[in-house]
Amino acid sequence: MRSERALLLGVARRRARPLALGCSASMVHQACEALVPLAIGLAVDHAVDGGGHGALIVAVSAVLALFVVLAACGGFQYWILSVTLQREAHELRVRAANRILADPAAGRGRTAGELMAVLTSDTAAVAAIIQAAALIGSGFTGLAVTVVVLVRIDLGLGLGLVLAVPLLMAGIDRIGPWLERKVAAQQQTGGLAAAFAAELVTALRPIRGFGGIGEAARRYRGVSRRSRDAALDAATASAVVAAAGLVATVLVVIATAAVAGQMALSGRITVGELITVVAMASFVADPVQRVASGVQKVAVSRAGAARVVPLLSASVITSGPRVTGWEAELHPGEMLGVVTTDPAVAQRVTDELAQLTSPQFLVEPAAAYLLGGTREAALDTGRDTAPEWTERALRTAAADTVETTALQGGGTNLSGGQRQRLALARALAADPAVLVLRDPLTAVDAVTEDTIARQLRLLRDQDRHTTVVVTTSPPLLMTCDRVVFVPSATRETVTGPHRVLMERPDYREAVLR
Amino acid sequence: MSALPVATGRQTWTGLRRAAAGHRPAVAAAVAWTLLASVGIVTLPLLLGRLVDAVRLDRSSSLPVLLPLIGVVGVLGALATALAQRATARLGTLIAADIREQALTGALGLEPALLESAGSGDITSRVTDDVENFVEAIPLIAQVSTALTTVLVAVTAVAGLDRRLAIAFVVVAPFYWFGLSRYLPRAGPLYAQERRTAAERGQVLLESLQGRPTVTAYGMAALQARRVEQASAHSLDVRERTIGVSLWLTKSMNAAEAAGLCSILLTGYWLVRGDLVTVGAVTAAALLFHRLFDPLGTLLSSFDHVQRAGAALARIIGVALVPTRTYPDRPAPRGAVSVRLRGVRHSYDGEHDVVDGVDLDIPAGASLAVVGTSGAGKSTLAAVLAGLFPATAGTVSLNDGVADIPVDGTAPARLRDWAAAVSQETHVFSGTLREDLLFAHPTANEAKLGDALEQVGAHTWVRGLPDGLDTLVGAGGHPLTAVQTQQLALARLVLLDPPLLVMDEATAEAGSAGARDLERAALTLLAGRTAVVVAHRLSQARVCDRIAVMEHGRIEELGTHEELLELEGRYARLWTSWSNS
Repeated sequence: MRSERALLLGVARRRARPLALGCSASMVHQACEALVPLAIGLAVDHAVDGGGHGALIVAVSAVLALFVVLAACGGFQYWILSVTLQREAHELRVRAANRILADPAAGRGRTAGELMAVLTSDTAAVAAIIQAAALIGSGFTGLAVTVVVLVRIDLGLGLGLVLAVPLLMAGIDRIGPWLERKVAAQQQTGGLAAAFAAELVTALRPIRGFGGIGEAARRYRGVSRRSRDAALDAATASAVVAAAGLVATVLVVIATAAVAGQMALSGRITVGELITVVAMASFVADPVQRVASGVQKVAVSRAGAARVVPLLSASVITSGPRVTGWEAELHPGEMLGVVTTDPAVAQRVTDELAQLTSPQFLVEPAAAYLLGGTREAALDTGRDTAPEWTERALRTAAADTVETTALQGGGTNLSGGQRQRLALARALAADPAVLVLRDPLTAVDAVTEDTIARQLRLLRDQDRHTTVVVTTSPPLLMTCDRVVFVPSATRETVTGPHRVLMERPDYREAVLR
Repeated sequence: MSALPVATGRQTWTGLRRAAAGHRPAVAAAVAWTLLASVGIVTLPLLLGRLVDAVRLDRSSSLPVLLPLIGVVGVLGALATALAQRATARLGTLIAADIREQALTGALGLEPALLESAGSGDITSRVTDDVENFVEAIPLIAQVSTALTTVLVAVTAVAGLDRRLAIAFVVVAPFYWFGLSRYLPRAGPLYAQERRTAAERGQVLLESLQGRPTVTAYGMAALQARRVEQASAHSLDVRERTIGVSLWLTKSMNAAEAAGLCSILLTGYWLVRGDLVTVGAVTAAALLFHRLFDPLGTLLSSFDHVQRAGAALARIIGVALVPTRTYPDRPAPRGAVSVRLRGVRHSYDGEHDVVDGVDLDIPAGASLAVVGTSGAGKSTLAAVLAGLFPATAGTVSLNDGVADIPVDGTAPARLRDWAAAVSQETHVFSGTLREDLLFAHPTANEAKLGDALEQVGAHTWVRGLPDGLDTLVGAGGHPLTAVQTQQLALARLVLLDPPLLVMDEATAEAGSAGARDLERAALTLLAGRTAVVVAHRLSQARVCDRIAVMEHGRIEELGTHEELLELEGRYARLWTSWSNS
């Protein structure tokens, strides 16, 4: 709780200057808006209703001057508050992204989709505290101006209005949560319908394969109808809320008109004052509404802050690496194979090696993921690799022929084999002293696999760099100096050259294809 | 250039009208309530004007009539406004639901060739983003229609008080025109650019999040963070410019309001002096004009939103404009199916043939493996064979011993009785595991499902799931491994039980241990069927009756495993490097 507030206060502190300027402009703007009905009333009273030319000129110039100030302040507050909000959201986003990328513990347990929502919507929600402050400030200003104007005309009328309107609004706000539930249901079902449509189009090829087109259309109709019904429900709910607000406003206006009309008849107030009072009565809901929506925005900002804070705060220290079960010594320039038939063991071996974080130690993730939109970006890992070396890495991984105009979604628009070869080229270009690869060539055809295995050895040998390959691919294992065979999680490991291990039936079974 | 059409203005209107025609009561309600609401909004200031006149002329006798009248009109107007809002939103919702269902059904039924050339990105954005844009715009469209009606009724009402007072509406026109003419030409491209840069930012962000293991492995957090910052800064830059451009519009709106108000005061002054109108009428006109600030603002500022919704609608309706192909009736298969390919070619770009003239016969009940290096055209051949997309030349026909049907000339729904395929892309649908399986065979019972899972070797892990068949899988659900996903795809085929099976499996992500499990599962499926298997692993090829070796889109060798080894050609070479241990 405290850290959320600290984050929001931090935003206000960092943006103190534009926030103060924006709020002031917003208040003046709101005051001008409140004065427009007063101006109409005064103009009718003093100029139109039998006033002279001079009075008319004064009235028109006053209206014009009022609008000049109104437009200037309105434009300025909108510009400065929007720009500040966007800049703040950008900075928060970059800070949080930096944190997520640099600290593997940040945001742990949350999916990429969830974190994405935090980085795009929640950062914007936190920054929107700027707008919330301006709304609340200007709303109160508008209310204050209304009170002053009305009280000067008639004390009872003014106080009555200013007390009645917020009470009515508060009453209407009570049905707010009900509306919010309906709208949330509408948004949720709408989102589901869109997600399902996207899923069906993405999976169109498999669906066609098993003849599911008719069933897909039927299922979508179901989802779409649910979304439609929720939207119809929400339309009714928001109409009820709108009706309550409108009827309340109209009742206030009519009651005021009735009372003020009687007062004007009895001569207590002038006709101009009558007009002003009636106009003010219909205006007063606006500042109250501003305050209410400002308060709502603060709640949204707090909720956003609650999700952003954990990404920005200090990380939890995780336990150190635990290498268990098997031991192997790595020699410089060596190529070591690790063979296992149990995917869980293969996973554990790479996971444990991956915890030995050191700049000279690289464990290429098993699922090839390419970052960036071009081949050059995908191969760039921030190491200032010489272009010739990158070229050589590409040739070694037989990835120089992969045509890459535009990469999308981590390389999902490439075939599995192309993605694997580019990822291998990236690892080779990075040229770490120790490189760990897991099943690097499973999606590559046999001839190319054979070629890559031999070239890989040559490239790594050049600087006597060490390579560990977790695989059951014979071409790769044949290029290894030693192979560690892990028959299962519980049994003893065996180490030896591939040729020698081939004499064991269980090893042959593991690598035989 | 996308191959999918975008509806023209006229076609969009026709589509909208046709959809609206299905909801006549809703249309009538929306029109009636909107008109009534506008009349209410306009009548109230007019009556208040009367009140002013009554007070000025000390006619207290009219107050008992006037005040209740104001009350009734005010309350009814408010209710009508809310009901108008509801009726318009409901109408929009009904139309949107119809249109999106039509669009998706259209997209699902698109001819495979068109689908390939249009790209799934375009189709996806039409059935998701465009639909959402349109649905989100519905409340706005409701507001705009009320605002427009209100303005029209108000102009009539002010002109009814005195025509000269209506000059105010002529005075404001040039200001609005000036504002819009500066705003619209800039706003369109700028908003488009804003959406594009926001999408780019989204892509870099998502990539960074999904690729976190890679970023950590390479220690490249600083580089990737720089990429995020660049994308976000670029999007911020464009966003700031869009804020600037809409300022012009609001400023000219303020100017128009000031000019209009002054014009009413000035004309009112001369008219009252000449005793041509009452002070009450001028008051009414001024108050009415003041009440129009909001609807006029809504109209102008929503101009581009409504335009955007229209553009989205044109794209959605465009999907349904693609003519649907009609197919002649074909019988269901009555037994084992044989396959015949003659001169089959396929090209994605119209120049380069990926499949380059293939003749092939597969006897009923026999299995054929297709092997070759990456890019040899194996997957394309399999897709053409399964009718996933048509051959650019040549014929593929299926024969059950009684009838002979062409794959390309058969309705997809009927073709699935003859042949089914597992493609390289597999998909786990979000929902329960049961729903996932029922997708292929909606009427299958519990026993059938269990049997299918057992055949593909998935029954043990399914039983171990927290809720068994009712476990939620797919996006956000229980994660499945690559092997499990493939097993599900195979289980769907078991449920479908087609006489011809085309399998193009990607076992890449499964790892070598998992690949063997899948091979076993696939093997049980081949029994008793005609089958074509694109084999990435030669052990899969070896169990098939015959093997075809593809190179550069052609079949270079064809025969049994032993025959091909004796040939000492490409297959023999592949086999040697595969089993060189």
